[in-house]
Amino acid sequence: MRRLALSLLLLLLLLSGCGGQVSPDEAQESIQVIAMDTAMLVTTYGEQSVPAAYACEDTIRDLEKQLSRTDPDSAVSQLNAAGELELGELGEELIPILRAAETYRRETDGAFDITVAPVMSAWGFAAGSFRVPSQAELDGLLELVDGSAVGVEGRTVTLGPGQAIDLGGIAKGYAADKIVKVLREHEVPRANINLGGNVLAYGDRPDGTPWRVGIQDPARVGEQNAFAGVLALTDSFAVTSGGYQRYFEQDGKTYHHIIDPATGYPADSGLTSVTVAAGLGEGDSGTMCDAYSTALFIMGEKKALDFWRTWEGTPFELVLVTEDGRVVVTEGLADRFTPDETSGYALEVASR
Amino acid sequence: MKLTAKQLTLCALLTAMALALSYLENLFPLSLAIPVPGVKLGLANIVTLFALYALGPGEALLILLARCLLGALFAGNMNALIFSLLGGLSAMGTMILLSRRRGLSVYGVSVGGAAAHNCGQIAAALLTLGSAAPLYYLPILLAVSLLTGGLTGLASACLFQGLRHTDLMKG
Amino acid sequence: MKPSPKLRPTVWDGLVVLCVAALAVGVAFFQWRGGTTEALTAVVSVDGTEADRFAPADLLEAPRTYENNGYTLEVALSIDYEHPASSALPSSGESGLRVARSDCPTQDCVHTGTISRSGQSIVCLPARIIIRLEGGTPEDGGVDAILG
Repeated sequence: MRRLALSLLLLLLLLSGCGGQVSPDEAQESIQVIAMDTAMLVTTYGEQSVPAAYACEDTIRDLEKQLSRTDPDSAVSQLNAAGELELGELGEELIPILRAAETYRRETDGAFDITVAPVMSAWGFAAGSFRVPSQAELDGLLELVDGSAVGVEGRTVTLGPGQAIDLGGIAKGYAADKIVKVLREHEVPRANINLGGNVLAYGDRPDGTPWRVGIQDPARVGEQNAFAGVLALTDSFAVTSGGYQRYFEQDGKTYHHIIDPATGYPADSGLTSVTVAAGLGEGDSGTMCDAYSTALFIMGEKKALDFWRTWEGTPFELVLVTEDGRVVVTEGLADRFTPDETSGYALEVASR
Repeated sequence: MKLTAKQLTLCALLTAMALALSYLENLFPLSLAIPVPGVKLGLANIVTLFALYALGPGEALLILLARCLLGALFAGNMNALIFSLLGGLSAMGTMILLSRRRGLSVYGVSVGGAAAHNCGQIAAALLTLGSAAPLYYLPILLAVSLLTGGLTGLASACLFQGLRHTDLMKG
Repeated sequence: MKPSPKLRPTVWDGLVVLCVAALAVGVAFFQWRGGTTEALTAVVSVDGTEADRFAPADLLEAPRTYENNGYTLEVALSIDYEHPASSALPSSGESGLRVARSDCPTQDCVHTGTISRSGQSIVCLPARIIIRLEGGTPEDGGVDAILG
């Protein structure tokens, strides 16, 4: 009898020991941040989820203070106003981001160019007062577009005469790269970070499956959960650029916010959205995805796929949605892409 | 309810023992393993079970109330009162019902009581937290109550066996 | 009247044990089937801090308004005009909510339309207000994040 009682007690203690390990995934923190002209959602998991989430917010706010074009005190605004800026503490991030921007400009043959800012402003995309500029005005402004004229020497940044920069096509990706560092420092096992369309799928879902990331169907913008397809991603970035994201209508014509630096007009390349996805890599693939999504949207389907085929740097994959109702997925993503049947798109897989 | 001096003494003794058992089980806090506030092994149910058979439902209820009140008072935590009261009362009610069924032994009554005890605790947690989250722990707590109930049943069986020849069991 | 207790386990004890075990499995199954047991909740954050939290059904009584940055948003329960009777009772179908009125310049929040499932949100950038649905039963085929 006593032996039975003892073994029962032992079993009970063992059982309580097992129950004592609270799964780290029980801890979760979700915060919303409005910054960089968009809504951001940061969800972190694990024991350090709370400090990690707030460290992410600090990172975003700090970057916004330096890179915003709407905040007149930001380093970028000061640089645009004066044409030259001696970097203090504030502009710390400007040097690596300008260097990256120049690299991507050269690689994309000028399709990505941060000095397209004066043209963007002429269309009203900076201030929100939209208008269609005259051809003469655009011709004049296009002469200012030349990313190679942006100089970084020591801690001094200079622009060419009349130039201005807009980091909107790269800042969120850069922020995502910084956030990866924050998450690694806090040893967060998994996180789901959405910086206004720049998604960082860090680790996997709490149930061990990949994060499910929906690509908005450009043809059904008003509907929630209307996707061109869903990507299954672990430890990856994905960024989508599409003309449907910001646009205005005038005289029955639609003008969107992705300006082709070659023409000064909204890119008319036959694509309605471009999604670029890449693994986390060494620490700059978020910036890369962000810059390329804009550039490849401008290039159009053929040039974008050629760019992907001949690319020899950090590997990335694409999902292109075309105006004529097709979804083109590059082969590396094919088995991680589930098309949405209700979208009605024809699925094509592009190979190298 | 009229109590003889012997019954009163027995009630006082059992209350003291129940308190001691509550204290004892705090040394093995189950709530560390299953983080729901107020969740306990329910060792004091041995006393409730014994009082039920040796004295009767009324006396058992008195002992339970005294134990819960004094326990909360000693702990200086009136929040815990609702947990022990709800747990204890549901265990008590269930055990009264089950003890009337002739086919059941102390083991069955004890397991039923332990399960009801945990249900009561969860109900208290639902009330105080105002959230459905504690319900999540109910399945594991019920599983645990099979063991704790068996354990208290075993203890009670030993107790009754040892006291069989005393006049305690005859009232 | 005190029944003398049986001291050896009987078949009936086994029945009690089975009942408790069945209850445990039943509750676990119910939770597994139903996902989280938390009800669908709308969380409103203003300027990045949580300002309000309510069940969509609370909007039956009256719409709620939120003011920030000089703009006012009115959040109302969505009525499905094709089946007005069914959606008037939030329990009998999708209880969605929407921004019914806003004096913000972009009107994006109004155009977003109705949200009804956990994870969906309405964002008003000019007013710096986010309305997000949390909890509830996770939807089959739901996504964790949206690109675009």
